[in-house]
Amino acid sequence: MNYRSFFKAEWLSLLRRKQDTLNALLFFVMVIILFPLGVDPSSEFLAPAAGGIIWCATALSVLMAVEGMYKEDFNDGSLEQWLTSGLSITYLVFLKVLVQWLMVIVPLLIVLPLLAQMLFLPFSALWVVMTSILLGTPALFFIGSIGAALTVSLRRGAVLMLLLILPLYIPVIIFATGAVRAAQLDMNYSGQLAILAAISLVALALSPIMAAISIRASVN
Amino acid sequence: MRVFLLQKSVNLQVTNLWIERGERDLCRDLSFSVRSGELVRIAGENGTGKSSLIKAILGWVRLEEGELEFNGEDVTLHRDVLLQNQLYLGHTPGIKSVFTALENLKLYCPEASEVALEQALAHVQLQAFADTPAAQLSAGQKRRIALARLWLTDKALWFLDEPFTALDVKGVEALELCMGAHLKNGGAIVITTHQPLLHLSPKTVELTL
Repeated sequence: MNYRSFFKAEWLSLLRRKQDTLNALLFFVMVIILFPLGVDPSSEFLAPAAGGIIWCATALSVLMAVEGMYKEDFNDGSLEQWLTSGLSITYLVFLKVLVQWLMVIVPLLIVLPLLAQMLFLPFSALWVVMTSILLGTPALFFIGSIGAALTVSLRRGAVLMLLLILPLYIPVIIFATGAVRAAQLDMNYSGQLAILAAISLVALALSPIMAAISIRASVN
Repeated sequence: MRVFLLQKSVNLQVTNLWIERGERDLCRDLSFSVRSGELVRIAGENGTGKSSLIKAILGWVRLEEGELEFNGEDVTLHRDVLLQNQLYLGHTPGIKSVFTALENLKLYCPEASEVALEQALAHVQLQAFADTPAAQLSAGQKRRIALARLWLTDKALWFLDEPFTALDVKGVEALELCMGAHLKNGGAIVITTHQPLLHLSPKTVELTL
């Protein structure tokens, strides 16, 4: 095994198991569709709330996608092979998260303009939403990968993982929706986006290391 | 058969190993060595910690005490040198069910040529199943995919945890031949098994409850 063959295999296995990522995407779409039906379909309510609705749906669908990301590898013994491969687990985790991120976020960004129309989100704010998703979701994935690694050996680890991870998602959601709101009020939103990027960079630097430690602890 | 130049000769020294698992000593003051050309069999009843011993050597079960030396280098704290020169196959050998036999093999042996991959699959009687998803294969066939790596690797030290599980008579025969060739070639093997070995004479490390 080397990094290249690992990366290729990760792509291939996600493509073969499309339903997992597809489920996350469908979930995202469903939440956004249900909101206007359940609360208030008028543009006076939806336009200001759109950023928050989209971001909550994004965070939940990312959680869904990330929750079981190591389950398969744990069950079939791949994690043991990672540990004995002599490769850096930190880097393997990074590659795995990168593949997951691309597979979930790219389709999500593609369907987003359509859903934004449904929520009466003005076109000018749509770009901010998309940028905030591009900058903020890496943090969600990287932080989530720590939780997934910690709970991989537990039979019913999903709830525990939610409790561990969700609080860490709050700052990302606050700054992301803050940026969207600022854009809708014609205010400067670059500060919020910069903080989102900063959170993602910190997560990128730290979480693969922590996930690697958790994997080591889970496999024995 | 095997024509590989192995990466290194092997000299693994295990000294005064003490492993504890859940308040119970699995072994204490256990010392043994594995050298090039040697087959070491870890023997013992179920639950005596044969797998844990291998995992402890590889570094993901904690050692209470003990030293490991690989080719003269102390690897007790940093196993990197040992890991880079070994191949480990455990109870669940990391075969992805969504991949075909060939794709699984390619993941672990990316530098092997197509011909070599096909030959390796032929050695384990899987040439007809090269493009079959592993999910559709039997337990024994899945294990054979993992074992096919043994024909492709240039790692000198093998850790095989119950490699004969789910294999049929012909499979066992082929695996023993492969192991024999590896030993002749200067490699070394640490194995746990309950089956008697037909052609090879191992050095035994006994674990007791």
